Amino acid sequence: MLTIYLLILLPLAGFLINGLLGTKLSKGLSGIIGSATILGSFIISCMYFFGLVGGAAPTEVKVFDWISFGNIHINFGILIDQLSALWLMVVTGIGFLIHIYSTGYMHDDEGFQRFFAYLNLFIFFMLLLVLGNNFVVMFIGWEGVGLCSYLLIGFWYKNQDYNNAAKKAFVMNRIGDLGFLIGMFILLYNFHTLDFNGLKAAVAGGADHHIIFWATLFLFIGATGKSAQIPLYTWLPDAMAGPTPVSALIHAATMVTAGIFMICRANFLFTLAPETLHIIAIVGAATALFAATIGVMQNDIKKVLAYSTVSQLGLMFMALGFGAYTSGAFHVVTHAFFKACLFLGSGSVIHAMGGEQDIRRMGGLRKWMPITFGTFLLASLAISGVPPLSGFFSKDEILAHAFEHNKVLWVVASVASLLTAYYMFRLVFLTFFGSFRGTHDQEHHLHESPMSITLPLVVLSVLAVVGGVIGLPPVTHMTHWLSHFLAPVIPAVTEGEGAEGTSMELMLMGIATVLAFAAIAWAYARFVGKRTLPAEDGQLTGLGSVVYNKYYVDELYNLAIVKPLLAASEWGYTVLDKIVVDGVVVWSGKLSLMTGKQLRQIQSGNIGFYLLAMVLGIVGIFIYVLTYLQ
Amino acid sequence: MRALTYTSFLGIACLVLEIFNLRKIVVPVVVIALLAILGINFTEWNGSSVSFYNDMLRADNFALAFTGLLIVTAAGLVAMSGSFYDTEETKLADYISVIVFTLCGGIALVSFSNMAMLFIGLEVLSISLYILAGSKRRDIRSNEAAMKYFLMGSFASGILLFGITLVYGATGSFNLAQIALYASGPGVDPIFVVGVIMILIAMLFKVSAVPFHFWAPDVYEGSPSLTTAMMATLSKVAAMAAFYRLFSVSFVNNFSGFAWILSVVAALTMLVGNLTALNQDSFKRMLAFSGIAHAGYMLLAIMSLYQNTANALFFYTVAYTFASLGAFAIGISVMKRRKSEKIEAFNGLGKSNPFQAVALTVFMLSMAGIPPLAGFFAKYYVFFEAIKTQHLAVVIVAVITSAISVYYYFKLILAMWTKDSEETDAPAGAISYIAIAAICLIVTLALGILPSLVPSINQVASK
Repeated sequence: MLTIYLLILLPLAGFLINGLLGTKLSKGLSGIIGSATILGSFIISCMYFFGLVGGAAPTEVKVFDWISFGNIHINFGILIDQLSALWLMVVTGIGFLIHIYSTGYMHDDEGFQRFFAYLNLFIFFMLLLVLGNNFVVMFIGWEGVGLCSYLLIGFWYKNQDYNNAAKKAFVMNRIGDLGFLIGMFILLYNFHTLDFNGLKAAVAGGADHHIIFWATLFLFIGATGKSAQIPLYTWLPDAMAGPTPVSALIHAATMVTAGIFMICRANFLFTLAPETLHIIAIVGAATALFAATIGVMQNDIKKVLAYSTVSQLGLMFMALGFGAYTSGAFHVVTHAFFKACLFLGSGSVIHAMGGEQDIRRMGGLRKWMPITFGTFLLASLAISGVPPLSGFFSKDEILAHAFEHNKVLWVVASVASLLTAYYMFRLVFLTFFGSFRGTHDQEHHLHESPMSITLPLVVLSVLAVVGGVIGLPPVTHMTHWLSHFLAPVIPAVTEGEGAEGTSMELMLMGIATVLAFAAIAWAYARFVGKRTLPAEDGQLTGLGSVVYNKYYVDELYNLAIVKPLLAASEWGYTVLDKIVVDGVVVWSGKLSLMTGKQLRQIQSGNIGFYLLAMVLGIVGIFIYVLTYLQ
Repeated sequence: MRALTYTSFLGIACLVLEIFNLRKIVVPVVVIALLAILGINFTEWNGSSVSFYNDMLRADNFALAFTGLLIVTAAGLVAMSGSFYDTEETKLADYISVIVFTLCGGIALVSFSNMAMLFIGLEVLSISLYILAGSKRRDIRSNEAAMKYFLMGSFASGILLFGITLVYGATGSFNLAQIALYASGPGVDPIFVVGVIMILIAMLFKVSAVPFHFWAPDVYEGSPSLTTAMMATLSKVAAMAAFYRLFSVSFVNNFSGFAWILSVVAALTMLVGNLTALNQDSFKRMLAFSGIAHAGYMLLAIMSLYQNTANALFFYTVAYTFASLGAFAIGISVMKRRKSEKIEAFNGLGKSNPFQAVALTVFMLSMAGIPPLAGFFAKYYVFFEAIKTQHLAVVIVAVITSAISVYYYFKLILAMWTKDSEETDAPAGAISYIAIAAICLIVTLALGILPSLVPSINQVASK
């Protein structure tokens, strides 16, 4: 009991201390408090995680009765089972590393304490999201991480563009949240509970198919908001306005995987709705390909990684869409390792370049930054799917499921993976190879980052390399540890091993590997061999320009949704609000005040009148009662 | 019912302390003693309903819960009286003993099971309050308040006594259980009904319901602020509980006709209270009208009389008491500093004393019924019970007037946060005021987040 409270409340304590004391704390102390609280949570997470690995039973705790009305009772409950423990490890583990990293990265920022306060608050809400034993607690966390994301994207609030990015993220997420809410209400209305266990029991005996379909569809809409899928993905690339550790923690490793977590958590519902799963698979695959193509044309180091994240999340959703929840979760874990490493690496580069993010102004950095380069390269190899790094195993598993279920989506996903390898190595070659293209000043400044930054990089890159061992494919004849571990929460899907056979599996792996190497070679030839540079802004034409401008989706949304909405709201303001609503409000207010003024006159201070009023009241009551009696 | 005995002794003990010239320790001693009595009171909790003194008093959960609330309120008032009466130190012990006697009256009122006890309790409470209302002897307004209160109050006492007599004439008993037996029997004498109506009217006067409310604003404004706080909290809660107890035990079977009267009275009370409060510029007068309006909301609970409404009423009184007590604690300390009772006196409090301003804001919001504060759930439960017992029309009035009330509560909040004061120096109030405000703040917030903290008193008054 106590350890569970500690697990959740430590980050909150960190937030309160850092938030309330603020600049009264020295930066060193603030960083230590921020990191130590997360370390504490991480250690407790480890306890629970290894307990569960060792076969301990899941822990479920009812903290208090929360909402009670009619026949509906919602508890504030905590559930630590295999699924939440897995996420706990990712959230607190990577969270801790990124806190350490931030002590170095944010060192010269005047908002240092505020930054740690937000970061701790984020971890607190993320823990609630992961640990809730019902949708409502999860939703608190869900909203809370959205809030923290908003606060951290707009962390440098003096820049209006950053504020706009923060607002955009918030609004897009709210659209998704509406879906989440509607999904919850459908479930609550029909099953009178939002407990995961309660729902599981409620649908076990069979449930109305339409209800499940609509509920899961709306929940999925919620997931597309938080996890940046078509059509709500546009906020994530803009969210890179936040400090780089934030991009690594929130917009790559943890928060954006909340949608996947939610679907894994509610897998018993989604399995009952094959139509929803089909939609998820298609949306996921489309997002994966779409974002990957945009990633190819971006020149901002963080934007490339952002689109890559959208694309990788798409792959995870595709896996979920095939009912392969474990594969989705597996990719979440490995992706967390290498994408966090990549983002932190890009942060290290940006740090060294004095804030420059355009890869056209970089080049040859491996000379100055060997550790950053090495870790970045390893993580890039991992995300590209080069065996035997972690990304290879998790991505291969998803592709295998795709091949089994739907050959078209398999082709789409394979092309997305090919593009991933290409744009990642385009990034690597342009940044770290060739000669330096920045200003003389910047070159003078180049240096390897301090320990606090490189240490997390090294740890994450090691994890990115070896992370695959938790999910070895059937061909190795080893147990798939993760699916074994998650089996109590996610019933194992029947692997295609028997039908497809080992040779087919090996063939798929071979294709994936060849594609990855081909893409890397292509990028090498183009950017190292021919030393091609991406065109300067405004020089692109045709398709290149369309892709570079992200297919003008933002502009389309502006035209199709934002502008009409603004026009409608303008009308609502001038006509509905100013005339109708204000009219009613003002006049009812005036009426009340006028009546009040009249009533006030009665209170004259004349005691004779008071007594008269009293007697009149008595007489009135008597008249009423005497008529009533007859 | 040991609480009543001990409290009476405590009142006398205060006077003894005065004799031995131990004036300085009287406040802490009384506060500690009251808290001890509170503890003793709850040792009887959840026991079976025990009757005392030939069934004059009855200790059931209802009585114990309200007794607890009254003791806490009284302890708060006593704690504040130390610095409130700092100009009249020689009479401090007297005033405190009167406060303690008022509490005795209150305890009798919430635990009586005999009409005689009801009358005695009401008189002890009222006479103590007449004295306290006039306790600023050199202040003409205080004199006027005491005089008005006494005149109107004795009028009401007369009506009450008349009603009790008529009921006695019809039933031959003062005992509530006996009366209930008679009331549920066949052939109820018209005399009995007339008697009940007179009692009803007297009770409506005590809780300041329209049109028997006229005394309240004048008396609230004229009395010393601490006495006003006492009338708004202790005396109102005790009267309301007595009202509920009397009707839930004795007259519940003849109730349908009275419920209609009460619903009209409740609606009028809410309307007049809230609408008149809109134009007030004195803090005390505003709270007086707001208190009248709150009496209207509490009447909803009495109107929909059945088992669960006792819970709703208790929750409402708890939420209301703590919000009022806290508001008075800060109000008194501000009014004293600025030497003004106008709402303008609160200008700029947000800047000069942020904690006090935050606390007062929370109390106002709670009274307005804004979630997630105690006042929201208080209103919610009361409205819920009223809807359950088919009083939808009154609830609609209640909701509308509740919305109106936001206006005048916000007048104070806006004064604190958006207006600047001309006075620059802002010494903090006495520590006891701040402490009481802090406790009230915690309770108001806690009950808003966890309304289940208030115990259920479902074992309602004895039958």
